[in-house]
Amino acid sequence: MVEWIRWTAPAAVAVTVTAPAHAVQYLSVGAAQKLAFPSAHFVEVQPGRVWKAEASGHVVGYFVFDRVIGKHLYIDYAVALDPGGRIRRVDILQYRESYGDEVRGASWLAQFVGKSSESPLQVGNDIRNISGATLSSHHVTEGVKRIVNFAKSLR
Amino acid sequence: MRRARPLLGTLVEIGVTDAGDGNPDAAIEAAFRAVEQTHRLMSFHDPASDVSRLNRGAYAQTVAVDSRTYEVLETARALRARTSGLFDIAIAPALQRLKLLPGSARPEPKLPELAAASPIELMPGCQVRFKHPDLRIDLGGIAKGYAVDRALGALRSHGIVAGIVNAGGDLAAFGPDMHVVDIRNPRYPDRILATIRVCNEALATSGGGFDPFRSARPAAPAVIDPVTQRPVGAILGATVRAPSCILADALTKVVMLAGEGSSALLDRYGASALFVAANCNIHLTADWQESLSLAA
Repeated sequence: MVEWIRWTAPAAVAVTVTAPAHAVQYLSVGAAQKLAFPSAHFVEVQPGRVWKAEASGHVVGYFVFDRVIGKHLYIDYAVALDPGGRIRRVDILQYRESYGDEVRGASWLAQFVGKSSESPLQVGNDIRNISGATLSSHHVTEGVKRIVNFAKSLR
Repeated sequence: MRRARPLLGTLVEIGVTDAGDGNPDAAIEAAFRAVEQTHRLMSFHDPASDVSRLNRGAYAQTVAVDSRTYEVLETARALRARTSGLFDIAIAPALQRLKLLPGSARPEPKLPELAAASPIELMPGCQVRFKHPDLRIDLGGIAKGYAVDRALGALRSHGIVAGIVNAGGDLAAFGPDMHVVDIRNPRYPDRILATIRVCNEALATSGGGFDPFRSARPAAPAVIDPVTQRPVGAILGATVRAPSCILADALTKVVMLAGEGSSALLDRYGASALFVAANCNIHLTADWQESLSLAA
């Protein structure tokens, strides 16, 4: 039969302890570009943010890099679009939670000017997994919608 | 190799730790497709999903659903019977009234007694009929777990030897590797409550929603007691380990409602549980002492 063990929470649980950051790097921008358009070469349309993918002399799609920033979390992700502006794929490139000091917000354009597809994303790899209160992908999906809208101005 | 995409309303991560003879890129792509398909079929929000089609029209006439949706409905029916209604997918109206799901709920549905037979009729050929006009289902308590199991199946059928799929905390691993999983403290999700070593099994956690974009505090859990139709309060969060993710997912809801009263069910399904009571006391089944370390 099932036996239970009980732990009484020590009063100290409410005391602040340095919270671990949870950070994962999945893909660099360059690797994500290759996955989205394996045989294309990329031409920057907006430095570090938007590239046109070209193969055999014509446009095969667009690749957009974005970051959604919150108080304690930022997520870098990339959206690959076909020439008609439809989503081909969405990949998360980097995920970083941090509670020690808040993630600093910044104008998204200022963040990325000058970032090339070879720029290393700085966060170290953390192989741990996490289970717990459900994280919503709402902020990323809102970002994807913004990008699809923005893509209309690209063509 | 690990990849992540926004799916199922959360972030889904797929990792291959030993590709064996398989192609990890193709396997991961197939696994994400399996998750996307589950999402398309079972989303409450998408008007074209099987769930929406059932909620709109399965009382008026029989509705044919995808075999995967049917499989989940069969599992849900068995769970409802075995948990005496503690697990019940007919919870959508309560979630709508609490504004946890969109749409307007009809006034208090007069559903048949929970002890009675399921109000969802499952017929051959994946045909489904609702026996009550006010019945609305939400597969949110079980679809993530199912999607994880399907994604794992896709990895395996592509020859992958070891891998892990994590859909916003509902996860499952296969192969000989030990995966280390941190469990968030349900009250303080920016802190770790426990670390669990997972090998060839599934894990799911129920608790509040958590938006670290805005705050380090969790929202109240969206687990509804089918009897009172109100959210639970006595338990802040529960983690269940089970042989499959669909089971782990469903059983977290039962543990949130019944706490130590879920013993017989956990035993029956070969599952283990950990939960945090409102007074912050931690309860865990004795069978995972070697795999679990509490943080404090």
